[in-house]
Amino acid sequence: MCEFSGRLIAWLDRELPAEEAAEVERHLGDCAECQAGAEAFRRVSGEISEYCNAVLASSVRNVSPQWWKPVALGTGAVAALIALFLAMPRTHVAPPEFHAPQVKMAVPRAVAAAAPAPAISVQRVHRRQIVVPASVREPNAASAQNQNVYLLPDEPMIQIAIPADEMFPPGAVPEGMHFVADMTIAPDGSAERLQMQPRLAGFERRTTQP
Amino acid sequence: MSGDAAPLALPLSRLSAGASEATNLYRELQKPLLRYLVCLGLSSDEAQDVVQDAFLTLHRHLSSGGSQENIRGWLFRVAHNQARNRQKRYDRNFSAASDAELDAVSHEATPERAVLEKEKFQQLGKAMRSLTASERECLLLRASGLRYREIGEVLGIATSTVSDTVDRAIKKLAEKCNV
Repeated sequence: MCEFSGRLIAWLDRELPAEEAAEVERHLGDCAECQAGAEAFRRVSGEISEYCNAVLASSVRNVSPQWWKPVALGTGAVAALIALFLAMPRTHVAPPEFHAPQVKMAVPRAVAAAAPAPAISVQRVHRRQIVVPASVREPNAASAQNQNVYLLPDEPMIQIAIPADEMFPPGAVPEGMHFVADMTIAPDGSAERLQMQPRLAGFERRTTQP
Repeated sequence: MSGDAAPLALPLSRLSAGASEATNLYRELQKPLLRYLVCLGLSSDEAQDVVQDAFLTLHRHLSSGGSQENIRGWLFRVAHNQARNRQKRYDRNFSAASDAELDAVSHEATPERAVLEKEKFQQLGKAMRSLTASERECLLLRASGLRYREIGEVLGIATSTVSDTVDRAIKKLAEKCNV
């Protein structure tokens, strides 16, 4: 190897003193090996610079806005879920058949002990009625048959009067409170509507018998 | 000197002339600094942060009446030290940047030429990664246009050591790349 080969790169970089650089230049005119070496080192230096530019360009390109990636992933996930939901097999679920509840009513204890007539009266009427048990409206009455019947516009229904004492513990409701159950019967005989309405006997007495 | 044809001596006195001159200096040195940091192994975002911090430090340095001599070498030293601090903070070793996605630099390159350039860069990148950290840093600073004396100031080594290191590294690359 030529003794000048160790100074070729420094000469290319212009880092040698002027006298030493001139000596290398003179040598290069006569030495083919150093000429080839200097050319190779110059080429490598140029490639390093190009490589650095490529690394920088690649780095800048890689940090270009990447916001679309999570957006695309999220959109894809939602679309997949929707497609999965739509692709799931479906079976038609029929609603359960409706059966009208059968109401069994107990005979009030107090009324049963006092009189054989039931405190709960059931009437089939062709006119809307409000039925107030005689035992509530007139506590001293001996029979539940004496009831005031208020006629309302035509509407086929069954009305049931139930003393509140039969549904609530003693003292839970004011004394004399009872409920009127309005039951509408459909043409096929089934129960169409059942509505419970509270009635206060004392209030009725004050308003109807001032 | 090979590499960028950056001016070796910047008109330092213009820094005090005003912010517009500082902006010109930023435009002039931003890319070489970014390139050096990215080639060291920093991500583009990290390199941007380091460059901005370096210029902020330069502003404070000049505002406090610091020396205006060799601002380019001074900036590279600040950027290099900040990159090293990040290396220590994140317990990460510098390595040459990955060249997995390197493409041809010239846009007018034909597909065949682009493939050849990509292969050349991959080979050179592999050879760069085989160098020692000191050799790699010397070569990258040299490619940024710094003189041996400036490289020695940035890396904290003697100018003669820089000369020997550069000579050794270039010859290694020439041998590995069959140049």
